[in-house]
Amino acid sequence: MILRALWMLLLPLLLLPGVARGQDAPLGEIIARFANVEKFDQTEALVRELGATGDPGVRPVLEALAEGNLYVRKVDNAIFIVPGSGKVLKLIDPLTGEEADEASSSALKKVRVNNGLRRLIRDVLSTLTLGAKSAEARMAAADTMFANPDPAMIEALDAAIEAESDPAVKLRMERARAAAVVLSDLPESDKIAAIELLGSLGDRSVLSLLATVEANADGDLQRAAADAIAEIRSVLAAWDAAQNVWFGISLGSVLLLAAIGLAITFGVMGVINMAHGEMVMVGAYTTFVVQGAVHAFAPALQEWSLAFALPLAFLVAGAIGVAIERGIIRFLYGRPLETLLATWGVSLVLQQAVRMIFGPSNREVGNPSWMSGSFEIGQMVITWNRLWIVAFSLGVFVLLLFVFNRTSWGLHMRAVTQNRRMASSMGIRTPWVDAFTFGLGSGIAGIAGVALSQVGNVSPNLGQSYIIDSFMVVVFGGVGNLWGTLLGAFSLGIANKFLEPYAGAVLGKIIVLVLIILFIQKRPRGLFALKGRAVEA
Amino acid sequence: MTNTNTILYLDGVSVSFDGFRAINNLSLVLDRGEMRAIIGPNGAGKTTMMDIITGKTRPDTGTVYFDGTHDLTRYDEADIAMLGIGRKFQKPTVFESHTVEDNIALSLKGPRTVLSTLLNRRSADDARRIDEILATIRLEERRDELACNLSHGQKQWLEIGMLLAQDPKLLLVDEPVAGMTDAETEETVRLLKDVAKRHSVIVVEHDMHFVRELGVKVTCLHEGSVLSEGSLDHVSQDPRVIEVYLGR
Amino acid sequence: MSSSLFGGGLDRRILGLLAILTSAAVLVPVLNLAVPPTSSFHIPTYAVALLGKYLCYAMLALSLDLVWGYCGILSLGHGAFFALGGYAMGMYLMRQIGTRGVYGHPVLPDFMVFLNWKELPWYWYGFDQFWFAALMVMLVPGLLAFAFGWLAFRSRVTGVYLSIITQAMTYALLLAFFRNDMGFGGNNGLTDFKDILGFSLQAPTTRAALFSISALMLAIAVIVTAVLVSSKYGKLMIAVRDAESRTRFLGWRPENIKLFAFTVSAVMAGIAGALYVPQVGIINPSEFAPANSIEIVIWTAVGGRGTILGPVIGAVAVNWGKSWFTAAIPELWLFALGGLFIAVTLLLPKGIVGTWDAWRAARRARRSAGKGTSQVEPPVAEGTTARTTRHSIEPQPAE
Repeated sequence: MILRALWMLLLPLLLLPGVARGQDAPLGEIIARFANVEKFDQTEALVRELGATGDPGVRPVLEALAEGNLYVRKVDNAIFIVPGSGKVLKLIDPLTGEEADEASSSALKKVRVNNGLRRLIRDVLSTLTLGAKSAEARMAAADTMFANPDPAMIEALDAAIEAESDPAVKLRMERARAAAVVLSDLPESDKIAAIELLGSLGDRSVLSLLATVEANADGDLQRAAADAIAEIRSVLAAWDAAQNVWFGISLGSVLLLAAIGLAITFGVMGVINMAHGEMVMVGAYTTFVVQGAVHAFAPALQEWSLAFALPLAFLVAGAIGVAIERGIIRFLYGRPLETLLATWGVSLVLQQAVRMIFGPSNREVGNPSWMSGSFEIGQMVITWNRLWIVAFSLGVFVLLLFVFNRTSWGLHMRAVTQNRRMASSMGIRTPWVDAFTFGLGSGIAGIAGVALSQVGNVSPNLGQSYIIDSFMVVVFGGVGNLWGTLLGAFSLGIANKFLEPYAGAVLGKIIVLVLIILFIQKRPRGLFALKGRAVEA
Repeated sequence: MTNTNTILYLDGVSVSFDGFRAINNLSLVLDRGEMRAIIGPNGAGKTTMMDIITGKTRPDTGTVYFDGTHDLTRYDEADIAMLGIGRKFQKPTVFESHTVEDNIALSLKGPRTVLSTLLNRRSADDARRIDEILATIRLEERRDELACNLSHGQKQWLEIGMLLAQDPKLLLVDEPVAGMTDAETEETVRLLKDVAKRHSVIVVEHDMHFVRELGVKVTCLHEGSVLSEGSLDHVSQDPRVIEVYLGR
Repeated sequence: MSSSLFGGGLDRRILGLLAILTSAAVLVPVLNLAVPPTSSFHIPTYAVALLGKYLCYAMLALSLDLVWGYCGILSLGHGAFFALGGYAMGMYLMRQIGTRGVYGHPVLPDFMVFLNWKELPWYWYGFDQFWFAALMVMLVPGLLAFAFGWLAFRSRVTGVYLSIITQAMTYALLLAFFRNDMGFGGNNGLTDFKDILGFSLQAPTTRAALFSISALMLAIAVIVTAVLVSSKYGKLMIAVRDAESRTRFLGWRPENIKLFAFTVSAVMAGIAGALYVPQVGIINPSEFAPANSIEIVIWTAVGGRGTILGPVIGAVAVNWGKSWFTAAIPELWLFALGGLFIAVTLLLPKGIVGTWDAWRAARRARRSAGKGTSQVEPPVAEGTTARTTRHSIEPQPAE
């Protein structure tokens, strides 16, 4: 206790730059005194003293001490760092870091250390790091101190804050200082200021600290703590909302990918393709096969297997789509309900075929390295694969928008959507448009499968798990307008993710389904419905 | 509209779909017992006008009164049909999987609740009425045949017969002679003239020969409003009508 | 029973079906219970249960036919009404277990004891009484159908939109019943039933009786359907199916006509579910799966929608096929089922019964044409879809 008080008195003095730094003589003297310690509290005092020098040169000594690698040579009481073990040991000079001599283990005596000391060393080291050259190291030191706030560090932090030029690091240091101040015996006004600072930073990790203060203090201090907690909570709620929006956008992008092909075929042909989900599944299995093939034949291209899978999935699913259209659907025009049943039959066949070829269990498709991992924005975590899929789905959307609005195929498709008979009598070959549209819709589902293989398992039931949600997107968004699908997908995604924390995932989904069923009452043709008399003709 | 002799009164009616003005400040008055022919080029708003009168489309602005007191913009299709407006579609629409007789029977005036249909027994009165209508539309011979086996023209007549069975005050007849032979057209003229004795009728038709045969007041619509109104001779000599519709 | 009794609704074929059903209701129990197992006429108990199950499916298919075949509403959620009826019966059977459950709790079913529930949820009250459960079997699906239909039909949701939201409805119920805190046993559902009205469910006599009741209930359902569709109401249903806007402009309210059919159909499906549960001994959320509901559609389609015989034949035939396939070559069943969906819609859109009728009518027309008593009609004129025959009477080019 006395030592600590003493140290606190000494520290500001010693920490002053120029006083402590780069003076070898006192450092060597202090280190030499390790030879004479008999008790742990003597060692402790020495450690503090070393820390108080503020000299980065003490780092190797302290680290060696913590690891039990600091030894005294019995003959001359000189101190050395001795890494490793064995009969003949290398002795390293603690100050220069150069190999000084060799000695047998019996000629050396270890400077003993215990857990309390180790903890002290860690703190002292982080204090030291506050003066490190790299901003990252300084920030890490500040964060370590924030995680284990100790009033003893306040002065060190004050000095470091003074000297700090990087505003981000400075902020972290101030945060660490504030946490330490809250636990210190400093006057209440200081504490309140610290609490206010902590509150304004809105960090989840100070909540428990503040809660302790709130529980133990009274008067203004308690009020300040309560205010800060409330402030942090509201900041956190905002971040949680942001995170939910992100999750919603992420789910929405998946729904968009799954639903957009469906919306196209439904919009243009008035056909509900119940096998659409299976097209997604086919795309996902194509990815699986491509990844396996790349692994076997061209391991160097492993990172880019998705680039091969993408066009291939489009072609495979698109070809199956055209085959379904030519083989089944074209015989059923004007009978949408029958088409629904026939395509359901196709979906059963496709599912069972995949089950027999690839087995009923889940297959895993790996992420390339540029799609793995995550990063943080504030208190939000964003995974790369989700971010890529959001970007990808928007890319697909823009591409389709282009195809629809800027190409002659798009013009034909829009013409058929609005008035099939008229389009046909204007010389548009509606059967071709239908086959192409169905192929396009299925191909898009295929590339949706590539994307979905990156966020979930690939199984024969993959399509089934997305199909109803995709229907809901189409029903909600309305047909004949891609923007409706976009809006539908993202609103359903976000609504789902917002309801989840309150109602749970399942109940949230049920609520969304019920809301859509109710919504349909108001807008039987979705958000963006075609109007006019051609619609009901 | 306080005039008791007016059966249908449209004033300043406008409606647009996605910015396209289908009906633009349309006003039209039909007298009780009058038959009126409506002509006009495609897209003039003829069908949309019928949609508004029968409650399928709500006008954005304007008033529509029927039989003096009924504001038609406040009712839906079924209500309006019950008020006494019958409508024949442009494309003949009958119940194809029912017999001709059943088609008429389902249209007969009477209660329209589910319960009434469950307990329904056809009365002698109903049977007589059905016979009458079948005679009017000349389909007695085919009363037990399925409606899907009728010719196009016969379906048109059957649909008119269904309207008659409803016993409406006003009949809206959309292109009744489209796809008919000349002989059938003649028959239809006779049929409509017969109907017009007891009902008010609005006929929409492109066939000028047919309109001339009807010999009634004509209204020409263009771009959703009335271009010209009067006798056929008057209308067909109106330079604006010639410009947009009849051609020079 | 004379056909004139029901306004001509019961034609010879339907009377034949009723005769088969009533005699099965008597014969099957006799052949099961009275004929010794050594005899080749003996029907084993498992077969009785299987046949009973088929009859429940037939009733379910008939209920779907009422709305789809006659009223044009393709419901992809009829499995939900069936399952709700089944759950209502299951709740009664659960309450009958009493202290014989694993935990021996006098009131709470096992799964509630397991979940540490202290008292019975309010919606389980009354299910210890058979009459109450029987009422709920009809009321719950009926009310759901009424509420759902009232909303959907009034807003004129039709066609595939309607089909998809019915699917969403059953999907939402599937998710809901999977939840443990719904209080319906979560994904295990309700099972381990002991007895019904005091009779042990394991006893062959009870099983035979359940079969007989199923056969008779199906017979009643057939009569109700036949009477409904031959009444003026039935003609209106068909009118709504073929030309909804025409009925509306004639002053009818198609939404009310559909709503009545939908509700009656849901009640019928609920009763089928209630008969099904004691015979199979379990009800769980998988009955709500959208795939199940679509399968009902294919039974009806195979047999012939818009006919009364069709769905009964279709349900029994397809399910017999399923039993055979899943025993013999299970991995091919889904191929067969998928193929059936495609083949029926492409090749046999009117189903077995509808195609048979068309063939007979065509033959009759040919024969009468041969006699020269009536005008020549092309054979297609007999009843294929209206679309293809609309102009069949129009002047034909001379041959």
